[in-house]
Amino acid sequence: MRGRAVVWGIVAGAIVVAGGCATHADRLHRVRTAFHQGDLEAAERFVAEDLEKHPGDAEVLDLDRAVVALSDGRPQEAEQLLRSVRDRFDHLEQESAAEDAWALFTDDQQQAYAGEDYEKVLLRALLAIANLMQDGDDAEAYSLQVAEKQREIVAAALLPDGTNPKAAYQQVALGPYLRGILREQTHRDYDDAARNFATVVSWQPDFLSGKEHLARASGSSHSRRGHGVVHIFALVGHGPCKVVAEEIPSSAALLVADQILSSQLNQTLPPTIASIKVPRVLAAPGVVGGVRVGMAGRLLGQTETLTNVSNLAVAQAAAVHDLAVARAVVRRTVKKSTIYGAKEGLGVQHFSPVALAFDLAGVAWEAAENADTRCWGLLPDTIQVLRVELPAGDHTLTLQAVDRRGVPVGRCLPCSVSVADGRNSYCVVQAPDAGIIGQVLANGP
Amino acid sequence: MDRRQFLLRALAQLPTAAVISLGAGCRGQRQFARIMQPGEETMMGSHQAGAETFEPLVHEAVSKLLARHAGQPIQQVSFQESVETLPPPPSAKRICFVGVENKSAEEIGDFKDQLYETIDQRILESQVFQPLNRRFVDAGLRDTRLRPDQLFVPENMRAFAAHMEQQGQPLDYLLYATVTSGTTRENREYQRDYQLTLEMVEIQSGAYDKQSAELSKGYHPSRLSRWKAAHQAGQQ
Repeated sequence: MRGRAVVWGIVAGAIVVAGGCATHADRLHRVRTAFHQGDLEAAERFVAEDLEKHPGDAEVLDLDRAVVALSDGRPQEAEQLLRSVRDRFDHLEQESAAEDAWALFTDDQQQAYAGEDYEKVLLRALLAIANLMQDGDDAEAYSLQVAEKQREIVAAALLPDGTNPKAAYQQVALGPYLRGILREQTHRDYDDAARNFATVVSWQPDFLSGKEHLARASGSSHSRRGHGVVHIFALVGHGPCKVVAEEIPSSAALLVADQILSSQLNQTLPPTIASIKVPRVLAAPGVVGGVRVGMAGRLLGQTETLTNVSNLAVAQAAAVHDLAVARAVVRRTVKKSTIYGAKEGLGVQHFSPVALAFDLAGVAWEAAENADTRCWGLLPDTIQVLRVELPAGDHTLTLQAVDRRGVPVGRCLPCSVSVADGRNSYCVVQAPDAGIIGQVLANGP
Repeated sequence: MDRRQFLLRALAQLPTAAVISLGAGCRGQRQFARIMQPGEETMMGSHQAGAETFEPLVHEAVSKLLARHAGQPIQQVSFQESVETLPPPPSAKRICFVGVENKSAEEIGDFKDQLYETIDQRILESQVFQPLNRRFVDAGLRDTRLRPDQLFVPENMRAFAAHMEQQGQPLDYLLYATVTSGTTRENREYQRDYQLTLEMVEIQSGAYDKQSAELSKGYHPSRLSRWKAAHQAGQQ
């Protein structure tokens, strides 16, 4: 009678544990949908609700809040949020032995989210853009931090054998581009500007305007006399998101291994029935391909991709994929060992009902794992730019999102911008599915 | 020990190690800071030039330039002295410090503006020259759309000087600083020679002066190789 109670107790406990929770990807879906359709109010409300229920994920949710705030014409709030996440991510980069160990008994979702490498770099780039929409005083410092962070990430990944899995990372050209345009505006540091534009050309060879920027910074001037420059930054399309992927080959190999060990040892090991789950980054670019900029019925140009966020995220995830699988395999091994140890410790008989209950509990415990799908969900697919030289004075630009074939998407919006002689002005637009959403931000000298 | 026992022990130790790690602790404070005392040795940039390189370069190059142009011995000024300076004597020549150009192999990042300000400050403190305010210089470059490297063409130089005079900022000299480097590699170690050059042109006559300072720095892949290099240098 007592034995039966133990069996049911173990099975019930396992079922409770295996119940599982919705992943971040599940919760993010409605936020992304609202945002991409231009419903900023709903997107903000959904993020706030998630934040209330999952305060442990504050960093990743604050990243989404920052994008919504920027889109809604609140660059100061966006900058504050991004700055606080940057500092938290820097803190969380340290290893926590306790958290790592706890994640071995549960899953990676239990660890504090320290951000993906591309997120850490892009948040500094967005900090610079948010700051340019205000006084721009800190934009140069942020743009320096973009380059610094990229160097730091690659340097920290150097292995003792001299190899570096992150050495092949595609770098974010937005950082040197921002620094280039800021240094060019000084009319004094053209050498810095040229150096940074050379970096842009080398990192993003398909950014065709890069060569023009480099040529101008190397031998010409910022703009003609009596003219200034408007830089338009467009955050275009759907950014990448993470989904749960099952690692079938690794799961099958682990199942074979448990069977071999079970036949060799005193006790059986819980069989690997629940497959190993790891996060996979998915690119979902959306329909918008760029933003056309016009003035007084005349087309001035179309924004061009400077940083392909989706490609960057997919490539970086691929570079560290094996590590994620290895961590999942180690977790399974720890769980199987714990069940084994418990059975040995309690002197459970081989193939007894209690042993079966333990194995069932082990299977349920393993099935309770989920992949960590936390990510910055409201990033764009691409960050695009356009440089337009205009006479000094006040101008009204027209901005129209277009799809990849050049067909207009959504409404055409005006943008009033003030241009000063020899100075930069800036515009920021966000254009996911519904064309341009939220407010068009503009800031002049 | 048979294979079964070995497997058994290995399996039993895994969760134990994980449980021990659980109690091992959390993240601590990662960043610490302190005020460095005047005269304290500056940190050594392990991958590129930093204060340890640029401070002596600026000190030497500016001192040489000022010494050559001073009618009397140069008043030595330390880096940490107060920024308050006496107004320059009426005879002081007006100099336009155009900027610092980085032609070295390294990105000097935020050091560039620091270099400009340090050189400008030292020239101001010397009272040999009276430097133009940087904001006037920047406005002049913006208004004329002349690049700093174009100012050394006589026609451009005259046009720039005329513009500055119109703005109430007449000038006698143009000053330009350039950072360059040369790298010598020996397997995984390398030596980088840094040079700061100050070029000065008198607007009226076109007379040209140039002073430079050099500093060599060795980069080593390990503490041991750095110690060996330092030890060998000490023996010579």
